[in-house]
Amino acid sequence: MPIKQIGIDIPKVDANNKVRGVAQFGADLSVSSPLHLKVVRSTKHHAKVIKIKTEEASRVKGVERIFTAQDIPGKHLVGTITKDQPVLVSDRVRYVGDPLAIVAAQTIEAAEEAVKKVEILYEDLPSVHTPEEALKPHAPLIHDHGNLLIEFQVVKGDVVAGFKEAEVIVEELYETTWVDHAYMEPDAGIGFMDEEGRVTVVCPSQNVHYDQKEVAGVLSLPLEKVRIIQCATGGGFGGRLDITVQCLLALATYHLKRPVRIVYSREEVFDVISKRHPLTIRYKSGAKKDGRLTAIEVEILGDTGAYASYGATVGIRSAVHATGPYQVPNIKVRSRMAYTNNPWSGAMRGFGVPQIAFAHESQMDLLAKAIQMDPIDFRLKNALTIGSETATGQSLMASVGIGESLRRVKTWRDQLISVSCDSPRPHLRRGIGIGSMWYGIGNTGIANPSTAQIEILPNGEVRLLTGVADIGQGSDTVLLQMASEALGVPIQEIKLIRADTAFTTDAGATSASRQTYISGNAVLQAIRHLKQEILREAASFLQEDEADLFVEDGEVRHRKKRCISLPIREIAKRTQKRFKGEGSYDPETRKLDPQTGQGAPYATYAFATHLAEVEVDTETGKVKVIRVVACHDVGKAIHPQNIVGQIIGGVAMGVGFALMEEYIPGETTSFVNYLIPTSKDVPEVIPILVEDREPSGPFGAKGVGEPALIPSAPAILNAIADAIGERIYHLPANLERVLEAVKKSKRGGKTWQPC
Amino acid sequence: MTYCVDMILPFDYQTPKTLKEACRLLGEAKGKAKVIAGGTDLVIRLRNEEEKPDLLVDVTCLEELKGIEESDGTLSIGATVTHSEISDSSIVKRYGSVLAKAASQIGSPQIRNLGTIGGNIINASPAADTLPALMVLNAVGRVVSSESEREVPVRQLLESPYKSALKPDELLVRIQFKKLSQDTCCSFHRLARREAMAIARMSLALLFRMRDGNISDFRFSPGAVLPVPDRLEEVETFLEGRSPEEDLLRAAACKVSEAIVKRSGIRPSTSYKAPVIEALFLRAMREAMQQCQSNK
Ligand SMILES: Cc1cc2nc3c(=O)[nH]c(=O)nc-3n(C[C@H](O)[C@H](O)[C@H](O)COP(=O)(O)OP(=O)(O)OC[C@H]3O[C@@H](n4cnc5c(N)ncnc54)[C@H](O)[C@@H]3O)c2cc1C
Repeated sequence: MPIKQIGIDIPKVDANNKVRGVAQFGADLSVSSPLHLKVVRSTKHHAKVIKIKTEEASRVKGVERIFTAQDIPGKHLVGTITKDQPVLVSDRVRYVGDPLAIVAAQTIEAAEEAVKKVEILYEDLPSVHTPEEALKPHAPLIHDHGNLLIEFQVVKGDVVAGFKEAEVIVEELYETTWVDHAYMEPDAGIGFMDEEGRVTVVCPSQNVHYDQKEVAGVLSLPLEKVRIIQCATGGGFGGRLDITVQCLLALATYHLKRPVRIVYSREEVFDVISKRHPLTIRYKSGAKKDGRLTAIEVEILGDTGAYASYGATVGIRSAVHATGPYQVPNIKVRSRMAYTNNPWSGAMRGFGVPQIAFAHESQMDLLAKAIQMDPIDFRLKNALTIGSETATGQSLMASVGIGESLRRVKTWRDQLISVSCDSPRPHLRRGIGIGSMWYGIGNTGIANPSTAQIEILPNGEVRLLTGVADIGQGSDTVLLQMASEALGVPIQEIKLIRADTAFTTDAGATSASRQTYISGNAVLQAIRHLKQEILREAASFLQEDEADLFVEDGEVRHRKKRCISLPIREIAKRTQKRFKGEGSYDPETRKLDPQTGQGAPYATYAFATHLAEVEVDTETGKVKVIRVVACHDVGKAIHPQNIVGQIIGGVAMGVGFALMEEYIPGETTSFVNYLIPTSKDVPEVIPILVEDREPSGPFGAKGVGEPALIPSAPAILNAIADAIGERIYHLPANLERVLEAVKKSKRGGKTWQPC
Repeated sequence: MTYCVDMILPFDYQTPKTLKEACRLLGEAKGKAKVIAGGTDLVIRLRNEEEKPDLLVDVTCLEELKGIEESDGTLSIGATVTHSEISDSSIVKRYGSVLAKAASQIGSPQIRNLGTIGGNIINASPAADTLPALMVLNAVGRVVSSESEREVPVRQLLESPYKSALKPDELLVRIQFKKLSQDTCCSFHRLARREAMAIARMSLALLFRMRDGNISDFRFSPGAVLPVPDRLEEVETFLEGRSPEEDLLRAAACKVSEAIVKRSGIRPSTSYKAPVIEALFLRAMREAMQQCQSNK
């Protein structure tokens, strides 16, 4: 059967409403005469809460009610993995921004006025602001279970022997800092009791079914008494995997039994939403002169801030990916995450892999230089291939496109070298750099199933039900394409019902680049089941042998009798039956051994290589990224243009991570002082798609959301080093750091420029 | 701690049609009014409650504050002329190109379409982009109130960071400067952390003419390195009347960073800023000298 809906650029199904301004984001949602919520937040890094005085605030005209932790009927703590984050703090604040009370008032003005009048009596506690300090023996405890959130190791082979065998060894310290997701839409939402008496919250989210569980726990309600609906979501990047406004809205709705509304300001988003983990990475690697890697030893220390959030995931994932997409026989990686009284770090596009990729790709260039080998050839020599064993001892069976991505980028690089040369202005120096990555699709070594349903109603309507939250990345479109292809019904004729817990079932989070692969598979399974059901019904309806019937192009056909062909929707109509196919998919993984980190944490991996061409102003430290060639092995591009969109967005984010983004606690307030690239800072991006089919993927697809970002910063940093002959080990490579590096440079580093 | 979303304390808003009425409103408000032009600085200050006026006086309808005019030897720019109008103006490009260049690099197209030169001056930011250019143009502001009218050099319009020297009832009406002769060479340079929508990390404006192979009437003003933008006379006198040899320029560049350190003191940013302002200075000088070459 010819493929029709896969691999084509149909208009994204959400695009029309978005460009016309019809899509409703959190702050656009209207609900009749809502009360406005405002949050009272901690001004202290670490303090005991002695008393929360709300009397004066309650007297502000228009104030209906002020909620504190005492009003929580159920669980007080939430969190994706470790439940340690209070919905409202009652005893102890752990960072500046911790929520203490919610004011509900008739007007926003009254709510703001009252927030100012809530008085908090604190008793200061000593605070800790670096992970090193936090792990010292007598450091003040931030949580009773200690300041070490997680320690995780990947151990394989014998590193002592590996380094002995090495002919060159490179060891460096890499540092990264807090990065904000900078999603376009500040958090906002509404709460109300729906017609069936459910506490209902509508807001931007990356996982409504997780939100539902947390809210139900907090309110001590059965799941079915809580409904979460995802509205149009202005980006996520991991920041909306945790609870943001859900519990606040739900708690107020639960007590007030009337509509409520909340809108965060940009300043509030900056202060209270998770950040990318700052990691300190000590990285030692050794290679033979012929280019073979012999060993790596890596020590990762991260600052998870006041609460756990996804700290454990980042700790484990960065360790598992520490080798980069290369075969290394001897490995020792230790990764630790510590609590501090800094803003809490959580999930952000890549879960620690962008940070570790900066380190492993810098190391690869340093080693290549030390053994005088072309950096691409050096990577190719060590690149994973089919049959390779990863750091965790997993054998790769298929779809390992790293080599191909390197070869494709190499062709580009060789062309660039033949034309590029240093700019005529002597203070401007050009450089080219390579960054490669691998990325495991889905959660790490744990179950992460998705479910989906497809239905045909007696009136012939086809409905796809999925819990997947489309946060702009395009899952609505891609899942519909797959459904349309598999069922043979045009996309326009499939009604999508998504991310509303009243109708959909758990699809897991829109994270870990997993939805195309995992939920795509769940949808396909649902369709297989639907088809079985239809064929059974058709057989009895048509009085034919079921084995002779099959579904093609949306019709039930007969293998022998050409004249029999009946649209599947006709069958529903004629039989007045409702057909439903249930699907689920959980990728096959093997748990990581807690001592050695050995196992098969992911069913498939995405691979990519970026090439960055930069121009460095050696007198000011200003870096201009001129071009990025971005080659991605995506398995199969279901919607190529959408992937290109992900890649360009990823490169933009990578430019920010590499050159300018830096959240400074206590200083950064908003986009006035948190700079992200503008359209003028984003380079020309040349996307190249490699389609190395993943046999377990839907139509061969893997994922690309996070991979799109990961190689950019490493490539840019390597290009800077190429241009100025000195390397920067601390992100971002801002004006000051680049100039500092220029001063240090003896200008020895040009590797590939003939001019 | 509280976060305001879109709440700005209430105020009255008046859009006077005549200068006289505007002055009367400001006079009567007794310091409780603020002038608003493009609002690109003021509205942010209102939202942050750094200003809490009872009344905003919108000056964008006043004829006296509009337009770019040329008469005899001077160029006169209305206080509400936007950065876009300035950077697009053929007369400014011709007789004060250093200002056109500065205005063209402000913020983004949206900000340049709204933000005015008067607002940029009176907001008195140490990093305001038009200020170094206006300094080297010897620009003078015409300031009026119900009671008085005075002509004030731009430097004297500034008191301290983010504080102008205007009295609360005064309005900046126009900015004037002598047209630059066609043999003037000038340059404006700006450095920021990204390509648009970023406050200048450093900027500078300079101009001079060549007389018999020597630098003449040399004027120089750096931006974002002094608490209040100013000219650097020590550098100006150093170069005046001398031949622009490479060695001399390098020596002058050292004088630039010395002068800045002398005025602003050693700060954590000095180790970055000092060498960079020297480099920018040399770049600007070379660019201006190239202009001199082609003027010939
Ligand atoms: C995103 C963004 C980017 C920016 N980028 C830059 C940049 O790159 N470079 C730069 O220099 N600036 C920048 N600015 C600052 C601002 O846009 C400029 O300073 C602009 O020129 C201010 O003009 P305005 O008309 O908007 O002033 P307003 O905000 O209307 O007024 C500013 C101040 O001047 C007073 N005022 C205005 N007009 C008069 C008058 N005629 N008489 C007396 N007082 C008056 C007001 O009372 C107020 O105190 C930026 C601002 C934003 C928001």
